[in-house]
Amino acid sequence: MSRLERATAFVSKPRIRNLWTLIVIVFFLAFVITPTLFVLTYAFTNWDLIQTEVIQDPEMMSQIWTAIANSFEIAAIVTLIDILVGLPMAWILVRKKFRGKELLDTLIDMPLAVPTAALGFSAAIFWGITPADLTNPLGLKIVSSPFLLIILLHIIFSYPYMVRSLSAILEQIDQTFETAGQTLGASKLTAVRTITLPLFRAGLVTGIILCFARSLSETGGTVAALATVANTDFNTAPTLIDSLKSTPALAFTSIVLIILALVLLVVVAIVVKKLHIPFRKVWPRPEKILSRGLAPRLKDATSVLFLVFIVLIPSFFVFTFVFTSSPSTTTDWSQFGQSLVNSFLIAGVVTVIDLAMGIPLALYIAKNRSKWLPETLDILVNVPLIVPTVALGFSLKLFWTGGTPVSGPFAIFLVMLAHIAFTYPLMVRNVTGAVEEIDPTYEETARTLGAKPIQGFKRVLFPMIKASILAGAIMAFTRSLGETGATRAVSTTVLTAPNYIVNLIKLENDYYAAALACIILIIISYALMLALRYITRRRKGVS
Amino acid sequence: MRNGEYLCLLGPTGAGKTTILRIISGLTIPDQGNVIFDGISMNKIEPEDRRAVMLSQSYALFPQLTVADNILFGPDIRQYDQKVKQRTLAEMLDLVRLTHRPDAYPSELSGGMMQRTALARALASGASVLLLDEPLRALDARLRISLRHELRSLAKSMGITTIHVTHDQDEALVMADRIAVIREGRVVQVGTPGDVFDNPASPFVANFVGQSNFFIGTVEEKSESTSVRGELGHVVMARPCDHKLGEKVVVGVKVGNTEVHKEGEGYFDGTVERILFEGRNIFLDVDVSDVGRFSAKIPSWRLGRLAVGDKVKIKWSADKAIVFSMPLGGLEKELRVE
Amino acid sequence: MPEVSLSHITMRFGKVVAVDEVDLTIADGEYVTILGPSGCGKTTLIRVVAGILEPTQGEVRINGKSMRGVPIEERDLGYVFQNIALFPHMTVKANAAYGPTVKDLPMEEREQVAKKYLEMVKLLDKMSMFPSELCGGEQQKASLARALATGAKLLLLDEPLSALDARVRVDLRYELRRIAKSLGLTVVHVTHDQEEAMSVSDRIVVMRAGGIVESGTPEQLYTRPRDVFTANFIGETNLLEGWVKQRLPGKSTIELRDNSLIEVENCDPQVGEAVVVSVRPEFVFPFTDGLLSRIEYLTYMGTYWRVSSRSQSNDMVEFDVPSIEGKLYHPGQEVYLMFNRNAAVVYPRPKEGVTEAVKLE
Repeated sequence: MSRLERATAFVSKPRIRNLWTLIVIVFFLAFVITPTLFVLTYAFTNWDLIQTEVIQDPEMMSQIWTAIANSFEIAAIVTLIDILVGLPMAWILVRKKFRGKELLDTLIDMPLAVPTAALGFSAAIFWGITPADLTNPLGLKIVSSPFLLIILLHIIFSYPYMVRSLSAILEQIDQTFETAGQTLGASKLTAVRTITLPLFRAGLVTGIILCFARSLSETGGTVAALATVANTDFNTAPTLIDSLKSTPALAFTSIVLIILALVLLVVVAIVVKKLHIPFRKVWPRPEKILSRGLAPRLKDATSVLFLVFIVLIPSFFVFTFVFTSSPSTTTDWSQFGQSLVNSFLIAGVVTVIDLAMGIPLALYIAKNRSKWLPETLDILVNVPLIVPTVALGFSLKLFWTGGTPVSGPFAIFLVMLAHIAFTYPLMVRNVTGAVEEIDPTYEETARTLGAKPIQGFKRVLFPMIKASILAGAIMAFTRSLGETGATRAVSTTVLTAPNYIVNLIKLENDYYAAALACIILIIISYALMLALRYITRRRKGVS
Repeated sequence: MRNGEYLCLLGPTGAGKTTILRIISGLTIPDQGNVIFDGISMNKIEPEDRRAVMLSQSYALFPQLTVADNILFGPDIRQYDQKVKQRTLAEMLDLVRLTHRPDAYPSELSGGMMQRTALARALASGASVLLLDEPLRALDARLRISLRHELRSLAKSMGITTIHVTHDQDEALVMADRIAVIREGRVVQVGTPGDVFDNPASPFVANFVGQSNFFIGTVEEKSESTSVRGELGHVVMARPCDHKLGEKVVVGVKVGNTEVHKEGEGYFDGTVERILFEGRNIFLDVDVSDVGRFSAKIPSWRLGRLAVGDKVKIKWSADKAIVFSMPLGGLEKELRVE
Repeated sequence: MPEVSLSHITMRFGKVVAVDEVDLTIADGEYVTILGPSGCGKTTLIRVVAGILEPTQGEVRINGKSMRGVPIEERDLGYVFQNIALFPHMTVKANAAYGPTVKDLPMEEREQVAKKYLEMVKLLDKMSMFPSELCGGEQQKASLARALATGAKLLLLDEPLSALDARVRVDLRYELRRIAKSLGLTVVHVTHDQEEAMSVSDRIVVMRAGGIVESGTPEQLYTRPRDVFTANFIGETNLLEGWVKQRLPGKSTIELRDNSLIEVENCDPQVGEAVVVSVRPEFVFPFTDGLLSRIEYLTYMGTYWRVSSRSQSNDMVEFDVPSIEGKLYHPGQEVYLMFNRNAAVVYPRPKEGVTEAVKLE
């Protein structure tokens, strides 16, 4: 027996398989879930501190509540708009066939690869009324309310999530249902409203959770945008956490944010599932008129215009900035270089660990659906997605260090742990979804043909889910690369590229350098994404 | 099961046929009981070491591999010698008539070709037991009929013990050495196709394997044959039975053994309700007032004189009809095929 | 009253021609089955009729009215899908009431119509269940009730039985025809199952490779198919190659490849022409002389045995014997076979060869 064979036989032993699963579960609980929620224990251990330093300080309390209220209002409005404009776009992507569909498909994902700090800056100079020294003749300069500006900003990066989760569900809904409705005399709109939409609930929940959580936890972009329009007293919960110094206040805000987010999302999940979209009432004539001719075309056109003017142009508006203003001489570019190295190092390590620890967990969850443990893990995996990253970062720091400031390599290590916590779910969800879509008979047949479980995975399952694994990796990598809030919550000394941009804007008001840094970051992110896409395409072509 | 036997597991959807295959292959672990191959218990043996290959309904051909690579999957895993592999491949391609398409991907093949590739892949892995889960279901009706014999003779020629799951009684009759009829997780009857068709163990089997007509009555007389009297006084003849005189029983007779005549004697007088031409056979419904509907399947060349509305007599020969005990839950429940 | 006519229907998907110049008229109240192997274009054709697909060329007329540009929902037809497609979030009753609901009929009427058709398919006792709680046959019945409840007089059935168990299929096809006839519907039924086609239809249209091969009553197509493909596709048949030796009215002689002679009643091809003779197994019987054949295997068919033998020219010849006579035959035995001469049909030998001409996929 060769060494490889022996290794294969060894890892195929049921006991070894179970041990590996155990290790992965322990990793998940110890490094992802517990640190994420650790801050909640602070309420029990240090309640007196919170009492004296926060609750009895009316000014502090009002500041916190205003910020939290802002955050939730913004998240709710953003999610609602995303649903309204996301649905027609999902329809276009899934049900329509046209030339240029692939391009549209790519365009929708584009904001995802841009670090939010860059997005925030870009959107602010496009929409916002900026200080005099930040003149950009091409900017619209129409939005003066920071509230509105943040909404516009959050739509940009939550929109792709909504469209993606809605189209994923739409793809699974058999179009025959709609056609059946039509053969029974329902106009297109009636059929969609009474048949397809009610079947949408699951997708709607995922979409709402993703968008809401993303908006609730966004820090970097919001800080950058607010700094750009030079607004000092407007805060969302994450930006408040970002600026607070006292540990009890930080803990209190984080706890409230986490609890509210969890409660609200549970409520949303229940409400959407129970929600009764009325299908007994029908309006044959108006619905018929709206089903054909001008109305659907207008709807499609609006969707595309929204994508272009609300999502895409503000995202990349920063490119115009370098042509319309002049460089400052004091910029320290070596720091930017260092921050890039840091960012890529962190994102790279995080992605590798996500892959190594995420795939086994995903396989375990996907293949043991009916049991309670995998089922529980599946729900738990979503928790870090819902917890605002800045609260997550703070909680994690509290868990590992007790809240003392950290620096140097240890700080980088902690930042990596924080990034793992919120990227890990992305990997697990992606792979779980992919594995569940693959008919288990492939692997089973392979086993009856003599393949050990590990061989079955390598030769049969892996080639089929390769694309999803890669997609998960890209998502984890770009999310880590673009994260600001969690990084800053863990340590302000770890200079990542988005942090560097935020600092340039907020502390040094060096907008030109910030814009340039944004552009460089965007270009590098895209080059990387395209390279990965290219690799996957080519592999697909070969197989 | 005997070595090299071709067994069909026949039953309606949800009867537990596929579960049996999964238990044999080791993919599902039974709550209780043993699976024994050649006198050795398989309970602790992993699926990959059982040499029992499963061929699923959808064939599960690996989409990223060519026909040749699919066939070589088993030999590759078992790390056969290169020469042996090449020889196996050539043999298999020849056996399933795919020598012209070794480099095609599964998605480029027709249904029949996919089925043959899957079969070749199973045979090439050196299986000693072949587990076929509705291997013909995904194919067109006509193609299904022409592939029945081919599939059976392939398995037979390789001397492989085969278990074939199907819901199609014609398929089972034509292909099996023995048939096991399964219903609600239990084996109702095991026997040769002739046995199962001619000597069904219950009204369900009688109706599931080729349709039957049923008549409820009490045993009136027992001699060389049994006579059974219905509530309205009709008397029918059937094979000898062990039931007591006066016991309530069900008489079942295959529609193919039910005779319909215009003249002569009959057990019932009825009116032809419907005549359906089915090719080789004519399917006839005769309404007997107050008793119900009787159906008959008559070779079509014997038809000609019958038309809808004709008054006819229904009859069968006593040795074609079987007496069953009255089923506990009633006849209708017993006959349910879903 | 619906009458459907298709003229020059062509449907292309990119470079693939799924349906090629099809002309077909379906009379009012007729039950027509479109029969053919997978990929012959039958499903595409029925989808064109329903308006789910817009034909590349040609025109569909229902009741003499052109359907060009008329959306599905205004064609006034019922459609039953192969995958059943009951709305999973509605009860059986709500499913059946969907047609009346989208027409915004009053509540009582919706209820009444739904119940009427559920009763017709014997599902009244299961109307408050959800589709997932029904078994396959019941689901398809519910979907039939749903289609009928629209009040449409044109019913399109797209492989309605192929997802069901064989035994359930047999019961349900009689049901389909009974309901269609009792409501006086015009039905277009698509299937690949020749038995199903024969037992339900007034007329069968055989399709292959995007075109119509021929159409006729089940009996015509079984006993006197005009095309050799139909002969093999509808019911099994023996195909023997040879050439016409002598041609007289009512009695012609065909010489087979092994030089044996068979007599047939009707023969269109001329003397000397290469032909293929189709005789169904039930019309072949062992006799004291005739075609010499060696038995290869026997197959049990319930009420009869089918014996498969090979002639000296290596042609497969099958014949049926009653089940009690099964014991008289065994593999390896040589038998002489005779053919019922008015049951044999003679075709000119297809240019592409017989195997190619009758290929099933």
